[in-house]
Amino acid sequence: MGKVLEKTKIRLAGIKMTIIQTLKKYKYPYLFILPFFLLFSVFQLFPMLWTVVISFSKWKGIGKPKSVGLDNYKLLFKDYMFWDAISNTLIYWVTGVIFILLLSIIIAAFLNYNRLKGRSFFKTVTFLPNVCAAIAMGIIFSMLFDENVGLVNEFLGLFGIESIGWLTSTKMSKIPVIILNIWRNTPWFTVIVLSGLLNIPREYYEAATVDGANVFQQFFRITLPSLYNILFFCFITLTVDSWKIFNEPFILKGPGTSNVSLFQYMYDTGFNLFKMGYASAIGCMLTFILLIVSLIQFRIMRKQDNI
Amino acid sequence: MTKKKLFSALVYIILGIIVFFCLCPIIWMCIISLKGPNESISGFNSLWISNPTLQNFKNVFNIIPVGTNLYNSFFTTILGTITTLFFCSLAGFAFAKYDFPGKRFLFYFVIATMLIPPEVGAVPLFIIMRKVRLINSLWSLIIPRIATAVGIFYMRQYIVDVPTEIMEASRIDGCGDFAIYSKIIVPIIKPALASWAALTIIARWNDFFWPLLYLRSTPKYTLMVSISLLPVSDGLSTPWPVIMAGTTFAIIPIIVVYLILQRFQKAGLSTGAVKG
Repeated sequence: MGKVLEKTKIRLAGIKMTIIQTLKKYKYPYLFILPFFLLFSVFQLFPMLWTVVISFSKWKGIGKPKSVGLDNYKLLFKDYMFWDAISNTLIYWVTGVIFILLLSIIIAAFLNYNRLKGRSFFKTVTFLPNVCAAIAMGIIFSMLFDENVGLVNEFLGLFGIESIGWLTSTKMSKIPVIILNIWRNTPWFTVIVLSGLLNIPREYYEAATVDGANVFQQFFRITLPSLYNILFFCFITLTVDSWKIFNEPFILKGPGTSNVSLFQYMYDTGFNLFKMGYASAIGCMLTFILLIVSLIQFRIMRKQDNI
Repeated sequence: MTKKKLFSALVYIILGIIVFFCLCPIIWMCIISLKGPNESISGFNSLWISNPTLQNFKNVFNIIPVGTNLYNSFFTTILGTITTLFFCSLAGFAFAKYDFPGKRFLFYFVIATMLIPPEVGAVPLFIIMRKVRLINSLWSLIIPRIATAVGIFYMRQYIVDVPTEIMEASRIDGCGDFAIYSKIIVPIIKPALASWAALTIIARWNDFFWPLLYLRSTPKYTLMVSISLLPVSDGLSTPWPVIMAGTTFAIIPIIVVYLILQRFQKAGLSTGAVKG
């Protein structure tokens, strides 16, 4: 017995030695990456785990949290505002992914047109929407879409369409948010798609031209398949960004809960109603949704066996 | 030949339309912010100005403390960008040019952290910030994002392409590890630093959620939070020209900064971004 203990002790000491030696030998790289891991633990990992703990309690943010078990989650499933927020966010996600990816491919393809003059001007200007703050643009959009003074209604009036209360009707209120989201985020993905387009060897197109393929055939047979990885990357980023959408619906408020995103609902419950436990439960659901989406994405990625 | 010309013309027309949609809301905002008190702002009337005035810009100062808020925005943006550039490039350098046990795992770990945004932990983050007394302090916006996963990823992608021989040569000359970073790597990766700086400056200037969460009094607000509290409501009584002057303060400086930095990052944005 004693011998075994002795041996384990020696082995442990050995492991300790090797750890210290490794740390010493690779002192600099570890030191260089240390800030990230420290900050990540304090400001991301720890809060995430703590969110789970708080979600099982009732808490106003001060005093002692009262443990309530699964009550928050049970309430959540019966809460129609929560389901509204989920379906709103789902709409923002789907419309965002479809339109932003489509538009960024089209715009990038035009910017990549080989006889284009003034390319840097077009590149700079088409990136500008992404530079502008969502909050400031949201305010501008709320005037553009204003029922009485807005330019959009006036323009539609030219075609005999009666003025629409964009932000006052439940049916229409999401449209300004969706348009703002697309307007502001497309340029970012255009840049990424464009960088992908530049990596496609010119010879592919030359060979295709020799074979008599027209522009559209070239686009669908060469361009799109070559962009697969890049588009996949865009899809993942867009998904994470869409599920945490906050600024656009915050500033372009619709009637009732018609525009509220999931993340905005979490903020409201936590910091306006001070239901920290309930807000944490929403946070956990958000994490859960993102984890599932990521898992599915990695499944597909592994199946395709690239990236 | 004519077919080609026709196609070219089509490309320019479509790009023209896209440019129009990109610029239209920004220019429209500028026009309205310059309108005098007696001019009509509704519908198509908003497109012309007969007597431009800067009065609206003065009036914004009466509603919100623009000066203080601008200072707060500048402070967090500049300090946040400098610290992030330094720590992200340092970590990116370690991941790109060193071999150390657990490197692969740690790097994938860094990438994986991007999948769950830190915003989901907003409730405990607020409590933590209160504990360390950083609520209402501008440092609360800077410290948590000193080193970000995206930044490290971006920097690593760029530094990988720096030839290792230069590093080894200087090591033989007696350069320390940090000296190699500051004297060899930093000068080479300047374009990447410039383009990451541009992206970080834009993101920090436009940041809204974190300042809204952490800053709890008007003199401490960044410009974005102040702007969001301008009195916008549906109706004719909204003082639109004044509000548009406020949003101009939020948008025009960052566009100017972007256009200046644009010159530095010619090579940047696309090179480091994504390699499939």
